[in-house]
Amino acid sequence: MVEELLHSQAGILNFGIFFLLAVVLLFVILGFVTYAILAERKVMGFMQLRQGPNQVGGRWGLLQTVADVLKLLLKEDTIPKLADKPLFIIAPVIAFAPSFIVMAAIPFTDKFQFADLGVGLLYYVAISGLTTIGMLTGGWASNNKYALLGGMRAAAQMISYEIPLVMSVIGIVLLTGSLNLNDIVAAQENVWYIVLQPVAFIIFLIASVAELNRVPFDLPEAENELVAGFHVEYSGFRWAMFMLAEYVYIFAMASLTTVLFLGGWHPLFSFLGFIPGAVWFALKFMCVFFLLLWFRSTFPRIRADKLMEFAWKILLPIALANIFLTAIIKEILNLF
Amino acid sequence: MLGFGLAKGLKYTLKNLTKEKPTYEYPKEPLPLPDRFRGIQKFYPEKCIVCNQCSNICPTDCIQLTGKKHPDPTKKGKIIDTYDINFEICILCDLCTEVCPTEAIIMTNNFELAEYSRDELFKNLEWLDENDESVRKVNKP
Repeated sequence: MVEELLHSQAGILNFGIFFLLAVVLLFVILGFVTYAILAERKVMGFMQLRQGPNQVGGRWGLLQTVADVLKLLLKEDTIPKLADKPLFIIAPVIAFAPSFIVMAAIPFTDKFQFADLGVGLLYYVAISGLTTIGMLTGGWASNNKYALLGGMRAAAQMISYEIPLVMSVIGIVLLTGSLNLNDIVAAQENVWYIVLQPVAFIIFLIASVAELNRVPFDLPEAENELVAGFHVEYSGFRWAMFMLAEYVYIFAMASLTTVLFLGGWHPLFSFLGFIPGAVWFALKFMCVFFLLLWFRSTFPRIRADKLMEFAWKILLPIALANIFLTAIIKEILNLF
Repeated sequence: MLGFGLAKGLKYTLKNLTKEKPTYEYPKEPLPLPDRFRGIQKFYPEKCIVCNQCSNICPTDCIQLTGKKHPDPTKKGKIIDTYDINFEICILCDLCTEVCPTEAIIMTNNFELAEYSRDELFKNLEWLDENDESVRKVNKP
């Protein structure tokens, strides 16, 4: 459907259709973010022997996030006197926009997807890198040393961990022979890549947690070291934009992990094929998401001086070795 | 080994997921408190013999009481007329309940003394009589 739309003529009607689709996706994502935050607080609460939110919206606190967001939107919009105003205002937009643009390339099922890009994987990595600029801009424009330190850390960390992230995926690209996410899912019809590329999966998981700025790699916003990192001076809906970007990236990254390693919408066993692909995708997606929450409530923050060493001296060599091995094995298999 | 420790931590948090929570549903359910807890007093007007001992022993002087003659002229002694405790200064020290010879005044487990106005901390005979939830069961030490 989208394919036809993309090739149709430009006009008011088509613009309207695209706009409407984007708004629908935005609302789906906002709904996810609302309940992702609740799920995070609930799971963390249970893992720390607490109840988590249970007051607003009944026994399970179903309206807690709605109330929180409402509070954020009603808060006064503060801008520091000596801040770089235009940059300060545009930074949350720069941080959030790529996270939403990225969603276009992810195939949720064989029907439900927006853009079937030939270089889908590259597109994801390239666009998601732009968020770093938003964070750095926010940190710089705040005119606050903690914010600047947080922004610098964010930039350093996200750029270094992007490299092992991409390198770990190259094994998959070699095996599939394509950067198209649809082709990658199609290649996993029989065996998922988590079985064929377990090392790549572990590297990808670690690097993706670091990319998402989550515990144990949450140094850019370490509360007890930097107050709050690059968004110290932000409050109200500007701060909400940063948080929204973070959670949309969790959505995108969990989807990407599902697509790359867990076989996308393919069922676990072929005899379970009667269950629709969307359910399979949602199940795998939720497993990945739970893993992120699980990590958050288990691991302590990694030390700042070990962070870079870990990316460059451990993850990158392993990822490179993995590419090398994959290439050799593929060549040997091709001989026969 | 590094990886083993991480796995151990993950296992521990996963186990915690299903463990019973040690937290209380406090405002919805009363807190489980020991019987010896010193909360707002419960007063039994029919037991009181107006001996004034509670008022005398009170270290902060927060108990005010007046008695009147027994309405039945054949009986001796007094009955209680007014009995007020000022919870702005009451320290819930338990001395009034210990000294009372007829156990007309007894501690309860009710500790909720937060009010919007100071006047509401001035509890009279009727209020103290109605304060009859989770009264201390055994009063003697």
